[in-house]
Amino acid sequence: MTAIDHTGPLATVAPVISVRDAGIRFKRNRRASRSFKDLFAGSNRRKRADEFWALRNVSFDVRPGEAIGVVGRNGQGKSTLLKLVAQVMLPDEGRVHVGAGVAPLIEITGGFVGDLSVRDNVYLTAGLHGMSRAEIRDAFDEIIEFAEIADFVDTPYKHLSSGMKVRIAFAVISRLDEPVILVDEVLAVGDKGFREKCYKRIEELLAGGRTLFFVSHSDKDLRRFCERGLYLDKGQLQLDGTIEEALSRYSADYGV
Amino acid sequence: MTTASAPTAPTAAAPAATRSAGRRYRHALWLLTVRDLRVRYSTSALGYFWSILDPLVMSAIYWFVFTQVFHRGSVGEEPYIVFLLSALLPWMWFTGAVSDSTRAFIKETKLIRSTTIPRSIWVARVNASKGIEFLLSLPVLAVFAVATGARVHWELALYPLAIVLQCALVYGLGLIVAPLVVFFRDLERAVKLVLRFLFYASPIIYGTQALPDKLHDLAAFNPLSGIFGIYRSAFFPKQLDWFEVAVSVVVTVVVVVIGLVVFRGSEHRVLKEL
Repeated sequence: MTAIDHTGPLATVAPVISVRDAGIRFKRNRRASRSFKDLFAGSNRRKRADEFWALRNVSFDVRPGEAIGVVGRNGQGKSTLLKLVAQVMLPDEGRVHVGAGVAPLIEITGGFVGDLSVRDNVYLTAGLHGMSRAEIRDAFDEIIEFAEIADFVDTPYKHLSSGMKVRIAFAVISRLDEPVILVDEVLAVGDKGFREKCYKRIEELLAGGRTLFFVSHSDKDLRRFCERGLYLDKGQLQLDGTIEEALSRYSADYGV
Repeated sequence: MTTASAPTAPTAAAPAATRSAGRRYRHALWLLTVRDLRVRYSTSALGYFWSILDPLVMSAIYWFVFTQVFHRGSVGEEPYIVFLLSALLPWMWFTGAVSDSTRAFIKETKLIRSTTIPRSIWVARVNASKGIEFLLSLPVLAVFAVATGARVHWELALYPLAIVLQCALVYGLGLIVAPLVVFFRDLERAVKLVLRFLFYASPIIYGTQALPDKLHDLAAFNPLSGIFGIYRSAFFPKQLDWFEVAVSVVVTVVVVVIGLVVFRGSEHRVLKEL
């Protein structure tokens, strides 16, 4: 484990995220689901056709209040790592322990139903992420205001523009009162003004002591939010240090 | 290859410390069930009417065929329409929930990939929304019972037992079917086929008493025999066979246990396939 000096006083606090030797493997031909024919084929023929480890031997700890940026090329396991931390995927080996609630800004529009109104959708999605009705009622106006869609509260979700969809989704998830926030490039969409608003919200949350886990290709954004960096390459955790170290190692390896 | 602790350990630790896991599970299940019903009823003007129209048309057809065309002798009891409906309505729950559970994961891919609620909820919610539809369709049975002057017996009090049993059975089957369909897409069709067979292999248009002796014993091993027998006994006490009920309890327990094992074992692979 790479100890990081700037977390000095926090070093004794129990980690909020603890990943130990985590590994997960995928089939290379993922989409090809099997048919009954394979079931009766000889066991050696259907045995793990062409699998690879998307991540392996990954270990790190995250203490409360840390902001961590994950750096690496496409397909090197960044999003997979985020999904493991969000616990929407389970590791094939090792352990991923998250000791606190998570607000995952991953596929944020996923829970929204086209046929229901924006209002119903807010109650549904926030509820599925663990907010009670009373909590949602208190936060409702603020969510709508943040998303700037006060005129569309009773419009079916499917009739919103794609920008509005992302806005309301971000407003809901970022309002979740969870100690850990995961961000996976969702903010690439949306206009400049709203993106800036989202970033401000993330900064507020960070200032409030939340833990941030951030995946991005933008050096600027990474430097803005994160002090610690994880550099992933070839399914391995290559470097665990400051964000500057991670970024310079990344550009040294791939010359960007 | 897979370490034993890997797939199960993280799920147990998942729920936020602030809210008990059980409460959150129930809350999420409730939200999803309400969502299902609301989507169904908000997208069509006739909403509720559609969900009872299917069993009504079915029973009208069987009633016509078996009482007007064939003059069925000893099959079923009078009034036949009540006899039919009392098993057909729970059958709609059973067949609807089992066939929907083939799509339980596939339909909700995005939501499953973005929330941490326990994955068994996707099976439970299919069961719950179909079960609630069943409860909502019971007034139809009551109307026909009153209209035809069917007599109600004390066995009506056994309804909750039948509902609990069926709930468990459907849940167990869903736990088996839902993850396996993700790996074997053919299973979706196979399930439809089995359900069609099961419709005639279960006491819906007939009662188990009407079967020849040899088949009678065999039919007891269909867990639906015992369950439908209980539903029916509210109007036709002769349809209640405690041996069948006992067998369906045992079969249901076995199905639920197998379901839990299959679900546990395949959960982490399902998540990767979605």
